[in-house]
Amino acid sequence: MGIDKVKKISYPILLALLLVLPHFVAEGWISIIIEMFVLAIAATAANLMAGYSGMVSFGVAGFYGAGAYITALLITKAGVPFEISFFAGPVGTAILSLPFGWFCVRRSAVYFSMLSLAFAQLMHLIVFTWYSFTGGDNGIVGIPMPALLGSTFSYYYFALAVMIVCLALMWILINSPFGKAIQALRDNPERAGFVGIDVRKYQLAIFVVGNFFLAAAGSLFCGFNQNVFAEYMHWVKTFDITAVYLLGGIFSFLGPTVGAAIYIFLNKIIIRYTEYWPITLGATIVLITLFMPDGVVGFISKKISGKGRESK
Amino acid sequence: MQLILGQIIAGLSLGMIFFLISVGLSIVFGTLKVLNIAHASFYMLGAYLCYTVTHLVYKSQNMFWIALILAPVGVAIFGGIIELLVIRPMYKREFLYQLILTFGLIYIIADIVKLIWGVQFYQVDIPPQLQGTVQFLGTKLSYYHLFMIALGPIVLALIWVLLHKTKLGRIIRAVTYSRDMSSALGINVSLIYTVVFMFASWLAGLGGTLMAPMASVFLGMDGTVTIECFIIIVIGGLGSTGGAFLGAILFGLANSIGIIFLPKIAIALSFIAMAVVLIIRPWGLLGKPE
Repeated sequence: MGIDKVKKISYPILLALLLVLPHFVAEGWISIIIEMFVLAIAATAANLMAGYSGMVSFGVAGFYGAGAYITALLITKAGVPFEISFFAGPVGTAILSLPFGWFCVRRSAVYFSMLSLAFAQLMHLIVFTWYSFTGGDNGIVGIPMPALLGSTFSYYYFALAVMIVCLALMWILINSPFGKAIQALRDNPERAGFVGIDVRKYQLAIFVVGNFFLAAAGSLFCGFNQNVFAEYMHWVKTFDITAVYLLGGIFSFLGPTVGAAIYIFLNKIIIRYTEYWPITLGATIVLITLFMPDGVVGFISKKISGKGRESK
Repeated sequence: MQLILGQIIAGLSLGMIFFLISVGLSIVFGTLKVLNIAHASFYMLGAYLCYTVTHLVYKSQNMFWIALILAPVGVAIFGGIIELLVIRPMYKREFLYQLILTFGLIYIIADIVKLIWGVQFYQVDIPPQLQGTVQFLGTKLSYYHLFMIALGPIVLALIWVLLHKTKLGRIIRAVTYSRDMSSALGINVSLIYTVVFMFASWLAGLGGTLMAPMASVFLGMDGTVTIECFIIIVIGGLGSTGGAFLGAILFGLANSIGIIFLPKIAIALSFIAMAVVLIIRPWGLLGKPE
């Protein structure tokens, strides 16, 4: 049974499962699954840049947090209702990432990562010190939500819908001619350039798109928790997101989503029994990097179909 | 005036500590082509080892000098083990994997430290020989600060002599220039990599040992210097020893003087400087363009 057949059968089952889940599990678990949705969007978005385009952004937390802050600030400072603020988060972040991205894509590999980190840290610093506007290290709490999304139960369906839409959009993008070009760019930028692809423009585009969806995840999380803190932008968050897509597998589209599920699950289980979550995470990451570079999904994929690395 | 002089001295001495940490990071990147994000963890380990050694014999303050010798060596040995076990398989891998692996190391080392030493803050006293202050131009300057300011250039000179006047240094420079060619000429590149990594760990451990009397020894002290070291080596030039020195001095001074005049944006200055360097001259002030 090939992997495609497995997928065709399991996806609808999974979707049905997710749709009825809240009726069967405790509220605590629903919250956890919402976190998985958020992380799945964020990791998939970050992987658009890393796995599909070969651009390892070290500033993912910055743009993730930017989405959250834009949404939070619009609601609390300008009274804009969540319905609009939620969309303003990603849109605003995408616009914000344009100038940053313009500079970032002009540098390759290490320098790109460092520069994206520098920009993210700057954003974190601004948010952290601008106490009067952003609440500094106290963040913004008690953000009012529309009554319709007031309960965990209802927010679950909202988050599920958002995740499906975001993943679908990213999937369409990565399978479009643009998406193919981006992957060609990752594998051989020189050759892609010779074929006529404007390398910088494409890289900037994927940078903006990736950060757009990262911000969507941030706004989604902000809406759920009804708060936002400077930690959303800290580089530790970047590591978490990066660990997730690496764990899941950077060469498959749903890899990051699987990684998100595993990560959150592992996290919640481990911290129940021990305070030594960091070493667990670190050791897992080290082992994955050494022995399963294609991530969990890549590993299983290879076992089932016997193929090598492939980008989907 | 007095305040500024005091701040300059404090800034310079802090800069020296940053130099000791950053130069190792820079050398490892230049020679091994690996950006060891966990480098600051070695710094933290050095501080903790310093605490342990100075408290072995019942709090004898002369133990600091013994710690100065033993702690960095301990860190170097630990670094060697890490290199052999974990870093070595990663040389042929892509940048992303190296990055994420060293990031994972941060968490592992931090929890190992927590397991061994617990969560409390520790204090290490300044050795009696270096306690006290001296009057200069109306300001009280701490002997310990002056000691560190003197030590910095000495270590820089030591590294320079090692790299340029010894056979080992020549071999290291050859491997830095071209791994494959050196290997073809019969140099044991893997061994050199391990040696260089251990040397860098030694330097970071030395930085931690020297820092211990100045501030507390605590979990999370690695996070206080990680980003700063990146900024320094980017500004100075990835792979450049002199660049790390220059970058560290500038950083230390900018921070301590900036706090006086422009407190709000003093911290942001470093990031802005890093971004500017990456944009207009990514190989840094003293680095070489690829």
